Amino acid sequence: MEVDRKLLEHVAEVARIKLNDGEIKKFLPQLKEILEFFSKLKDINTDNVKPSFQPVELKNAMREDNEGQCLSQDDALSLTEHKKDAYFKGPKAV
Amino acid sequence: MESVHDFIKKVKNGEIDIVEHTYKLIEECKEINKEYNYLNTISEELALNSASEIKIQVKQNKNIKNKKLLGVAVSAKDAICVRDVETTAGSKILQSYRPLFDAFVIQRVKEEGAIIIGKTSQDEFGFGGFSVNVGKGFKIPKNPFDSERSCGGSSGGAAGLTQKLSSHIALGESTGGSIVEPASFCGVYGLCPTYGRVSRYGLIDFSNSMDKIGSMGKTIEDAALLMNVISGYDKKDSTSLNIKNDDYEKYLKKSVKGMKIGIIKEAFGAGVDREAENNVCPGIEELEEEGAKAEEISLELPIKYGIATYYMIAASEASTNLAKFCGMRYGAVEKLEGSFNEYFTKVRSNNFGDEAKRRIMLGTFARMAGYRDAFYLKAMKVRTLMINEYKKAFKKFDALISPTASILPPKFEDIEKLTPLQHYMIDIMTVSPNVAGLPHLNVPVGFEKNLPIGMLLIADHLQEGKLIQLGSAIEKGK
Amino acid sequence: MKRFTSDIVIGLEIHAELDTKTKLFCSCPTKGNEEPNSRTCVTCLGMPGSKPVLNKKAVEFALKLCLALNCEVSPELVFSRKSYFYPDMAKNYQISQYEMPLGKNGSLRLRDSKEIDITRVHMEEDPASLVHPAGLKESAYVLVDYNRSGNQLVEIVTEPDLASPDEARDFMKQLITVLNYLEIFDINEGIIKADANVSIRESDYARVEIKNITGFKEIERALMYEVSRQQDEIRHHKKIEQETRAWDSEKGVTFTLRKKETEEDYGYIIDTDLTAVEITGKLVREIKNEMPELAQDKVRKFVEKHRIKKEDAEIIAAEKELAEMFEKVAEEINPILAAKWLRRELVRVLNYNKKELHEVKIDEKHMIDLLKLVENKKITDNVASKILEKLIEKPFDIKEYVKKERLEAVSDVSELEKYCREAIEENPKAVEDYKKGEKKALNFIVGSVMKKTRGKATPKEVNEIILRLIK
Repeated sequence: MEVDRKLLEHVAEVARIKLNDGEIKKFLPQLKEILEFFSKLKDINTDNVKPSFQPVELKNAMREDNEGQCLSQDDALSLTEHKKDAYFKGPKAV
Repeated sequence: MESVHDFIKKVKNGEIDIVEHTYKLIEECKEINKEYNYLNTISEELALNSASEIKIQVKQNKNIKNKKLLGVAVSAKDAICVRDVETTAGSKILQSYRPLFDAFVIQRVKEEGAIIIGKTSQDEFGFGGFSVNVGKGFKIPKNPFDSERSCGGSSGGAAGLTQKLSSHIALGESTGGSIVEPASFCGVYGLCPTYGRVSRYGLIDFSNSMDKIGSMGKTIEDAALLMNVISGYDKKDSTSLNIKNDDYEKYLKKSVKGMKIGIIKEAFGAGVDREAENNVCPGIEELEEEGAKAEEISLELPIKYGIATYYMIAASEASTNLAKFCGMRYGAVEKLEGSFNEYFTKVRSNNFGDEAKRRIMLGTFARMAGYRDAFYLKAMKVRTLMINEYKKAFKKFDALISPTASILPPKFEDIEKLTPLQHYMIDIMTVSPNVAGLPHLNVPVGFEKNLPIGMLLIADHLQEGKLIQLGSAIEKGK
Repeated sequence: MKRFTSDIVIGLEIHAELDTKTKLFCSCPTKGNEEPNSRTCVTCLGMPGSKPVLNKKAVEFALKLCLALNCEVSPELVFSRKSYFYPDMAKNYQISQYEMPLGKNGSLRLRDSKEIDITRVHMEEDPASLVHPAGLKESAYVLVDYNRSGNQLVEIVTEPDLASPDEARDFMKQLITVLNYLEIFDINEGIIKADANVSIRESDYARVEIKNITGFKEIERALMYEVSRQQDEIRHHKKIEQETRAWDSEKGVTFTLRKKETEEDYGYIIDTDLTAVEITGKLVREIKNEMPELAQDKVRKFVEKHRIKKEDAEIIAAEKELAEMFEKVAEEINPILAAKWLRRELVRVLNYNKKELHEVKIDEKHMIDLLKLVENKKITDNVASKILEKLIEKPFDIKEYVKKERLEAVSDVSELEKYCREAIEENPKAVEDYKKGEKKALNFIVGSVMKKTRGKATPKEVNEIILRLIK
């Protein structure tokens, strides 16, 4: 696996983070070192091993289809200045 | 030292004026904070309101009889939502976020009459072991025994405040060791429960399959008391365990005679600071004197592969959890202009700190098509093997022992020299029990060069009681 | 990959809203207050610290659909996080399903019995709705309403088996019938949306995806436009590029959203805020027992019990409301007569008015009243049809209306004879023509009688009387 500038920039773009030149120079060797070290996971034989997505057995957590309390419109909108006419405002979609 | 039980008695019978006491406590917090930066927010208004209410209740002798935490000061790690109190998880991107709801644990401690005094400092979103990875504009908390040194992390503020503030219990949170490791660096007890034992409702997510809220106290009694209040089923958290509650306090003075403890062979020796080990051995002797039997056990997989497994799971989950922070609905905003891609990128680039960015990169990478099986999925499979290895050990042992930290609390200037990977490696003792969702406890066992040393006790799922039993036996022997 | 043979290749991804009271992962109501952001909570707003809890009813509904579409049902229901950034996303990941959809390898038959393969059926949450104050491209910002955020959706993905826009429309129609029969979809208010991938032989099947087509009537329009656009481009020697387009229903056109260079990488991981749900054999059996009769069951019953023609039964059963109406009407009216009127006249009048049965207020009571009069020859077929046309506009009491408008059939022979005599006298030329052998001339006299009786006589009877009188 080649962790290079191109890959790093691609990953950053997917994550919607813009890295400046200084950050790229700093992060690139760091992430290389980390991923090389983590690659040693491949030494472990996991054939026929089921993944454990949670550390303890959990299943069938569901709720009944009963209505609960909503937030008031004012409360819902209270944590941002980006709002208009009871709508949230967001950046343009294209 | 006055125990919390005695304190509550005095509040109930009016011997302590809780309002006066709270005023003093807040002053004390402010004073401590000047030097040590343990609190991101001091919730003065909330604390004084609660105190006034309790004072009235005490006067009228109403609703106070069974309150388990009446008047007790409780702090919450900044990642735990407290209604109307700024809750940032240590990140600039959440500055000014005042949750519209209380976390389950906050609701519980409020119900039991606790006074919430503030939000403790931490690594941004929990991303670190030294509390130096604080968000942009946040101050780094310092070790209570030496302010040139780290207090551990990521629940660093919680551990330091527990050591420094006269009477107080802390709500900490651990994803990979963030309760026990700072507890060890600050010389306090830190109890991290089984995954699912305490509801995560209202906890700002780091890694959903590993995050656990726990308790930190100056004594094992304090830690057990708080755990009694916060544990239990919560239907609002799908991963909350729907099982009968345990009473942790009943294990406090229980004899450890006949208990079997396994000393993790790989945790002593190569790669571990001799000084960090020193006081752990007398702690083990203490337990043996009390009638416990100690034996060595090899746990190769958790020690050798714990770090890689942990970081892959944690970063993968964290990178999705952090996607929601984009300058809409709450938290940091920028001027609303440009396309959504430009706007989200601006908000996120300007407001996340370096370690948050690194973890987002790592996690996004580990989830990408082509790498997903080799990293994300592989780590989830190794987790299965790790759990199996622990389960095998717990067939023989009631608890496993290692030093909590592989080093003494380091100086800030030395931390700066570490690469991120070296930084991650410091968590070597604590990540694996977290990957496996096992309860674990830090027990302060002494000092080396005037710095506290901690012993790590790990038990099987739902066996928090055994940890308390062993921990209190060591406490008694001191 | 499938080797395509037809001129047009269409595959659909259909999102349908399940008819539950609350959203998929929180207890906010799915209906009610339409004020923006009035039906939200910390979970569907994606507030830090909130957690999802799965709606059990939605799981049961989705399971019913999987079974009705002949899917293999997964032994476990597992949710994943599908990560992508967009202003309608509350968390910038959507809780959806990835590796193990709830159902896979199903099928659904079109009205001409062509079987369409269904790749997968899975559950997921709906994003918020966006308002673009000055149009999608021109607006400087969007307005976001989270009332819809977290709504309970099933996604049905077909194989690219559909060979025309008409088939796509029919597939949607058949799917809605199933949803409706299962009572898991609100046919009046529930939202059904489709994304379609369309390609044509001439472009060597370059795949174009059309996003966001709402309702089954729109699908044919959108696809017809897109197919002819692609054909036109080819005619003008342009290349069809693989891309994603959006359907603008007002302008009736599709337009480019983004040119795809590579498949988007959603970085799926399991959502560990939720637990797996076991889909046990017992649960499947319970769900099966609860399942209402589906269209095929109805057809069988109508043929066996009511002895109507299979062809009629199929048309009636294709719509749940019509089938239910038929069952009730057939209790009081000769089923063959009832079938004839429901499948021919009622359907004709509805089609003429471009309405669906659930959109008008005609109920079984109206049909019983009307057909009783027909059955007892109190009114003629002609009059009954006219009444039906009026009923579509606004329901009223049929018996009263017939009395008030004096629409009872003229069945008194002496009275009819009187009208016939008048008509013969008034049209001597027609009578003469008929006698000369021009058979058509008789129709003219019959028509004249019908006019006099305002349609209240049966043409057959009038015909006989006239013949008798002019012999």
